[in-house]
Amino acid sequence: MIFNLKSNKNKKSKLTAKILATAALPVIIAACGSSSSATTTSAAGSTATTAAKVPLVVYSAQGYDSAMTTAFQKATGITTTLVDDSTGPLLTRVQAEASNPKWGVLWVDGDEAFAALDQQGYLLKNWEPKVNWTSAAKLVIPKDGSYIPTGLTMAGTLVYSTKTVQSPPTSWNALLSPQWKGAVGMNDPAVSGPTFPFVAGMMNYLGGVTQGESYYTKLKNNGLQVFQTNGDTLHALGTGQIKLALIQSSAGIGAGIKDPTIKTAFLAPSTLLPGVIGIDGKASAAEIAEAKQFVKFVLSPAGQKVQLSGDPSGDSLYWPVLQGVNPESAVPPLSGIKYQVVNPYKWGPQENTINGWFTSNIVN
Amino acid sequence: MVAVETELNADETLPSPRRIKKAGGKGSIPGFVVAILIAGVLLVPVLIFLVQAFFPGLFSSSQPLFSLSGFKYAITGGSLRGIIDSLFVSILAGFIATALGLAVSWILRRTDIKGKRIWSGAIWFLLLVPTYLTTEGWQRLLEPSGVLSKANINAAPIYHIFFGPVGVIFVLGMSGIPFAYLAISATLANLGGELEDAARVHSGSRIDSFKIVIPVIMPALMSAFAIVFAESMSDFGVAYTLAANAHFPIATYTLFSAIDSVPLNFQQAAAIGWLLVASAMVPIVLQRRVTKSKSYAVVGGRRRAAKIMNITGRTRVIMYAFMIVLMVLAVMVPLLGMVSASFIKGLGTNFGATSLTLSNYRRVFSLTLGGSPLRFSGYLSVLTATATIIFGAYLARILAKRDTGFFGQALDLLLIGSVALPGIVLGAGYIFSYNQPFLSNIGINLYGTSKLLFLGYLASSLPATSRILIGPLAQIQSNMAYAARVHGSKAIPAWFQTVFPILSKALLSAWSLTFAKTLLELPLSQLLYPPGSIPLSVAINKLTAGYDYGGGTAMSVLALGVALLVIGVVNGAYRIFAPEGWKKMGGMFNNEGN
Repeated sequence: MIFNLKSNKNKKSKLTAKILATAALPVIIAACGSSSSATTTSAAGSTATTAAKVPLVVYSAQGYDSAMTTAFQKATGITTTLVDDSTGPLLTRVQAEASNPKWGVLWVDGDEAFAALDQQGYLLKNWEPKVNWTSAAKLVIPKDGSYIPTGLTMAGTLVYSTKTVQSPPTSWNALLSPQWKGAVGMNDPAVSGPTFPFVAGMMNYLGGVTQGESYYTKLKNNGLQVFQTNGDTLHALGTGQIKLALIQSSAGIGAGIKDPTIKTAFLAPSTLLPGVIGIDGKASAAEIAEAKQFVKFVLSPAGQKVQLSGDPSGDSLYWPVLQGVNPESAVPPLSGIKYQVVNPYKWGPQENTINGWFTSNIVN
Repeated sequence: MVAVETELNADETLPSPRRIKKAGGKGSIPGFVVAILIAGVLLVPVLIFLVQAFFPGLFSSSQPLFSLSGFKYAITGGSLRGIIDSLFVSILAGFIATALGLAVSWILRRTDIKGKRIWSGAIWFLLLVPTYLTTEGWQRLLEPSGVLSKANINAAPIYHIFFGPVGVIFVLGMSGIPFAYLAISATLANLGGELEDAARVHSGSRIDSFKIVIPVIMPALMSAFAIVFAESMSDFGVAYTLAANAHFPIATYTLFSAIDSVPLNFQQAAAIGWLLVASAMVPIVLQRRVTKSKSYAVVGGRRRAAKIMNITGRTRVIMYAFMIVLMVLAVMVPLLGMVSASFIKGLGTNFGATSLTLSNYRRVFSLTLGGSPLRFSGYLSVLTATATIIFGAYLARILAKRDTGFFGQALDLLLIGSVALPGIVLGAGYIFSYNQPFLSNIGINLYGTSKLLFLGYLASSLPATSRILIGPLAQIQSNMAYAARVHGSKAIPAWFQTVFPILSKALLSAWSLTFAKTLLELPLSQLLYPPGSIPLSVAINKLTAGYDYGGGTAMSVLALGVALLVIGVVNGAYRIFAPEGWKKMGGMFNNEGN
């Protein structure tokens, strides 16, 4: 009897314990939520102003993105959340969220990825800000207005140190000579945004995918080393693992600012690499409106000032897309460079296939 | 041990209410509720992800419903090499860690070596340090333009050996020592001296004694190997840093690449996931089968105390030298690499000048770099550790019962399997599952939030913690709580008055370990961190990937310091404020020699 009585009480106590245990999880999860909101910087401005706005989520691989989102938030009062990563991870994140997108603005280098996203229906079409584009910028503006260029650099420029290289190669074929065996390094196009345009650019220049694959195979047979990003390849150059780095022009020019022995050369033809913003076509009307505001801000005098100063030894070393805006003094005149513009709508849809081939045959 | 066995036997003779009611038994509500909860955070997300290997079109109209092409990818090219490399390094790391763990266990348990508390502390520290930090320490020290190079010491020959498979095996082997030590040392401590004495009485040498003891402790050795092998197969820290940079593909990294670089391919990632999970679980299952198939029982009530050997002369010198060299290689060198690099400006490049500086620490203390990740990870780690011991104790309570019923057995199996589940597979499962639109349609919007990261941490730490707590809970007699109830205490106060004091030390150890592991956790953090909130491990690796070696190492030192400080404060508070009786019982490491 005593045991039965205890058993009933025990049943109640276990039920209480069960309820407490079950209730604890939502409470703790709620606590996580407060943490999350605490880490998102509140927008400046009155509560009344921000209450009507939705947070703008910016996915970006640009070195000046943090400075830009901060300035935009300060100027507009729109709460802006930045996800900063390399281009590859950002593009996979966008693909992973295909049916349930979380981003409002995607801002990375290389328009091929945007052309592919456009063809898959991800992007807002038929919208471009009314600004005075440079002649070079006009070459990369899509006909359907599905993305917006914000700056120009070159893909696959030749970077070297005069400490180790006195006579750099002057043509793409020269890289295949025994003189440069084991001395050349480049980025992995599966990870580095500026590198697929370089790979596609070489294929375009050489006459097609097959010719391009043949070139990279020969380069690999001559000891090509593949690193993940501009930083990795520059590091290899800095520590003597390679003598020639094929990386984005802004990274090479930036390294030259830190160390004057680092030089950047443009083998003909170089491939024009636009920094591009795309707006999520499936976002809410409010977020799309804010995304347009963001683009206008980036291309405004205030925005260009931030873009030109936000990453002084990296991504800020670009050729502006707006008339009347001058590049940093370390950036050579665009008119002195022989470059090509590849068709992103031809090469963009082939990015997965070409990167897959590159990973299997060149990286591994 | 003998006393505990006697108490448990005595408990069996009592007609306890638990036996009458069989709480947690077949069809019991708590077992069912907890099984559902665990399934929600652990089983379902992982299964939804892994099933993609067979049914890629299940959640995507652009893919065929059924296809095995993911496996075709997983067993060819770079992916196949990743699996082979992982098996290769994990087997070697398992052997190295088991051999070193046996040696350390024997020295600390069976000899009169001085400073046992310090040696045990070093093993504890090694358990807390993730492999990516150990790798970072070694790399900063040895690499071209690294610390030694800046000090005009040519470390290039060692670096070229370290920078590749050898370094990966070395780091995984060293990191496995604490697991091997924990698996072997308790068995050695419980093994009486009679077996060795018998060998010596029959004119056997020390080697003959050794030959007798080894088969007896074989279950512990197999267990040590299985744990280290599973840990190495699951490891992402070395794979993401040293192995990736050395172009030595490891399976966890090839899986990560499949979902984090262009082209994205969940089907391929899921196929690699199957191979990883299978590889990590095989030795654990085999070890259990072997242990069950043959009796290794040698510990009984007439067991004599283990003999502590008085080591003298050359053996003593060799023993101390071994322990010092081992701890220097496993702990001191990587720590030295990290700390020294954190005070140097211009490390990792021949460009520009090099100088000593404090600026790295100033930078990581700033809000954007250090303050925010530290605060974010610290906050989540406290929550995770607290939730883990609450739910871990609850799960252990169910599993510690003798008749756990169907749900209890299912839960037991699930938790054993989950101990070997690689964090990268869990993270991929969370990304894929919690991003499904149908969840948004029913109001569950966890993807991209810190809530999901917390659930991932919890799901990752719960299996091991609950299994660790089963031991202490199984030793607690239920009639203690009943005695308190008979005297009028309510259920929860009765539990806190009787069970909690005995369990407190084990809970404290579990909390400390979970806190430190979560604070420095990498794979889940890398895959699940929410926009605007960067966890510590991701921030460290971002700085390192950007060649800000000074900032990366300063943040690493800061993170380790915070982990040790919090554990020190919590354990110090326990020593000061806990009643004396509490301190004498329980604890994960209560068998440590002093």
